Amino acid sequence: MQVFRLEKKRLMPFLRKVMRSYELVAPVKTDLVRFEKIKNPKSICFEKPYFPVKGFFFKKHQVLFEFDGSRVKIPANNEPERVFFGLKKCDLNAIIRQDKVFLEDAEDPYYKASREKSFLLGFHCDEACSEYCFCGSMELVDFYDLMFYDKGNHFLVEEGSEKGRFLISKFKEFFKPVPRKITQEEKEIKGTDRLKKNSITHLYDHPGWQKDVENCFSCGACTALCPTCYCFEIHDEVKSSCLSKGCRKRCWSSCQLQSFTRVAGDHVFREKREERFKHRIFHQLGYFKEKYGMNLCVGCGRCIEGCPTRIDFIKTINEMEDEQRE
Amino acid sequence: MNKENNNLTEENPYVPKPYKVTDFYRETSDTFTITIDMKVKHDPGQFVQVTLPGIGEAPVSICSDSDKYIKLNIREVGNVTRALAKLKKGDTLLIRGPYGNGYPMEVLKGNNLLIIGGGCGVAPLKGVIDYVENHRDDYQEVQLVLGYRSPDDIIFKRELAEWKNKYNLQVTVDKNPQSKFCYDAKVGFVTEYLKEAHLSNENKVVFICGPPIMMKFVIDILKEKGFNDDQIFISAERLMYCGIGVCCHCMIHGKFTCLDGPVFRYDEVKDFKND
Amino acid sequence: MTKPKVGFFGITGCAGCLLSFIFNEDEILDITNLVNLKAFPFIKEVNADDNFDIVFLEGLVASKEDLETLKKLRGNTKILVSLGACACTGCVPAYRHFTLKENYEHLLYEKRERIRDVEPTPIDAHVKVDYFIPGCPPNKKEILSFIKDLLLGKKPRQYTDPVCVECRRNNNLCLLDIGKPCLGPITLGGCNSVCTNGGFECWGCRGPTKDMNLDLMIKVLKEKGFDDKFIKDRMRTFAGLKLPVLERVINAKGNNAKPHNKD
Repeated sequence: MQVFRLEKKRLMPFLRKVMRSYELVAPVKTDLVRFEKIKNPKSICFEKPYFPVKGFFFKKHQVLFEFDGSRVKIPANNEPERVFFGLKKCDLNAIIRQDKVFLEDAEDPYYKASREKSFLLGFHCDEACSEYCFCGSMELVDFYDLMFYDKGNHFLVEEGSEKGRFLISKFKEFFKPVPRKITQEEKEIKGTDRLKKNSITHLYDHPGWQKDVENCFSCGACTALCPTCYCFEIHDEVKSSCLSKGCRKRCWSSCQLQSFTRVAGDHVFREKREERFKHRIFHQLGYFKEKYGMNLCVGCGRCIEGCPTRIDFIKTINEMEDEQRE
Repeated sequence: MNKENNNLTEENPYVPKPYKVTDFYRETSDTFTITIDMKVKHDPGQFVQVTLPGIGEAPVSICSDSDKYIKLNIREVGNVTRALAKLKKGDTLLIRGPYGNGYPMEVLKGNNLLIIGGGCGVAPLKGVIDYVENHRDDYQEVQLVLGYRSPDDIIFKRELAEWKNKYNLQVTVDKNPQSKFCYDAKVGFVTEYLKEAHLSNENKVVFICGPPIMMKFVIDILKEKGFNDDQIFISAERLMYCGIGVCCHCMIHGKFTCLDGPVFRYDEVKDFKND
Repeated sequence: MTKPKVGFFGITGCAGCLLSFIFNEDEILDITNLVNLKAFPFIKEVNADDNFDIVFLEGLVASKEDLETLKKLRGNTKILVSLGACACTGCVPAYRHFTLKENYEHLLYEKRERIRDVEPTPIDAHVKVDYFIPGCPPNKKEILSFIKDLLLGKKPRQYTDPVCVECRRNNNLCLLDIGKPCLGPITLGGCNSVCTNGGFECWGCRGPTKDMNLDLMIKVLKEKGFDDKFIKDRMRTFAGLKLPVLERVINAKGNNAKPHNKD
């Protein structure tokens, strides 16, 4: 793939020009780092955002349609064209996972509407962003429109797609082609291969999970912070002015909650905390792979960092593995 | 609305379409069967998502076999089903589907069928029975064992008389204190009848649909009588929202009830814990 | 369809929960058109006192008069709804159960012969309650959607998820991480995490979740350096009567981790 050089002092002018044609979304640091719509590119920070980017594609609240009696009206699609800057490899690979679910399996028009109009500009990490990262164990692939590599006084920018090529040509005054490739070594993220085993199917009944379960509030922080978790629930809301008018909404939900499997008559299928806890881990590291050939988990470690008790299931899996090997 | 500007309208899997109720029949004090003018090809065992705007959406299995209409047998348990009970002939409701993996009737041609239902679990099985009726030559002997709580809880009373003439039918009721007439029903659980019955597993497949605890005990008995796991088909029930394998609420050990099920061959799911 | 006959009443309380409903300025007239608002003594001059379909009751039982009012209302309505923390959990007034009389005696009115007080208790300690809308005050939108659900013939669903669910969706910093004694992980949400959105830790005003991990909450707070007394006081501020196991759990073995400041 073609590689370009962007001088560091030209980054801000480049982003400012991007903002004239597109909505720019990038990490901003206040009390935590979050992906935000950028007003001033100087506010951009290059750290890994604490919260995932998924809410821009898979919305927390999405009106599926409005109704008036049995007449149904679908809301107009007015998603802006967005350029995402500062996505980490884990963020980018998480988008692959959600694309699988929302674009390949069942074509989800709401996800597609925002996803189609997005440009994904990655920012390469040289090493683990935090002690919780384990992306090196998750077989991540190259996936981006453009990828930025920090090289001191300049960035090397690698094209990864047609969309990336389009952006480069649109803003060609900033980019100078360089006759080189990005090597595998440069693409590596050091210190992130933490998980000793990639299949955990045989560990389902292992007692080693117990201490993690005891440390779990079932608060759902892990699923909200996960860049790939994609569960949702659907409900209707009606207007106070007219009860036959309203909308059907889709909102995020979490498999960690009892309400997740509660059916009419108040039966809860996964009532025990342990069942819910394992469900997430096994969906992330097992079930998804059986269906799509890749782990749902991208190893970003946000679920560990954001857990009120820092449950490190990777450590737990490693301990169980070590014990079984002995 | 400017359609060109809106790619949300094309093939939107979440948006149901309006259909008319052409018949409403009350089966028992808390169940009813509605017929809907939805012309769609489907397999027995598949389900549709039924919407009453403002109330919500609920999955309901189809209990008929026709491409001119669908019938839904519904028990009033939740908000949507209670509201559906107020429908009248001529009313409109919204439906999307059909969804799910039904009974593989085509593959099972030439077999003897043993159909075991419990309570409202008989509803999807009626779809199978109707299918067999429409393709009678494709299957050998058909045996029906249908269990209900009491004579007052029997659904498909209209059809039972007909089934009695055509198939080997046994009805059971858990209790019958007033000794009401109910199709020569035996008093006791389905499992008690099955335990005593002479059942051969030769060229036979079994469809079971009912409460989880009943399915579990029926499977135990069938295994004792020499049935193999791959001769048994069961139905799963879970909370569902999307119906298309996305929302994850119906997931059991990585399998989607709405996509891979609701009908599963027992050997595919027997190792699943209650997860 | 005949309009359901609705009453809003209050017993011992601050009227904040009744206000919470009134704060639905944009929609309140729409809703009052859909129901027959037979009584709302807080804002109406003429009020009926019997034959209701739905009664929303704010406050807790703290006097004999309260108890009489409560029993009368229960007998005069099909559906009784506990509105707000006092009615649902006992809230701050019920804290009296956990302290000695000499601690508060000096604060009482001097002349209190007319006050025939009883042990302060939430209303479900005395009569059957059909639905609970918790919170101090309750979420104003929740009251509206509750009424709309009933009007549509739906059984309103009680929110069962903890505060953290909404707090995390609101992209908030976890207040436990900065050492605040936040009770979000064991407290019923549905409030759109209104306190933590503003950086103020959850005090548990909506009461504990059924699925709470109380042992862990206590362990975490102890690790953050809070002592038994603080933890008990904090947890009992809003929902002490709904945490009958607190004393036992806090004294249980294994939970006696020495307080130390993590991080």
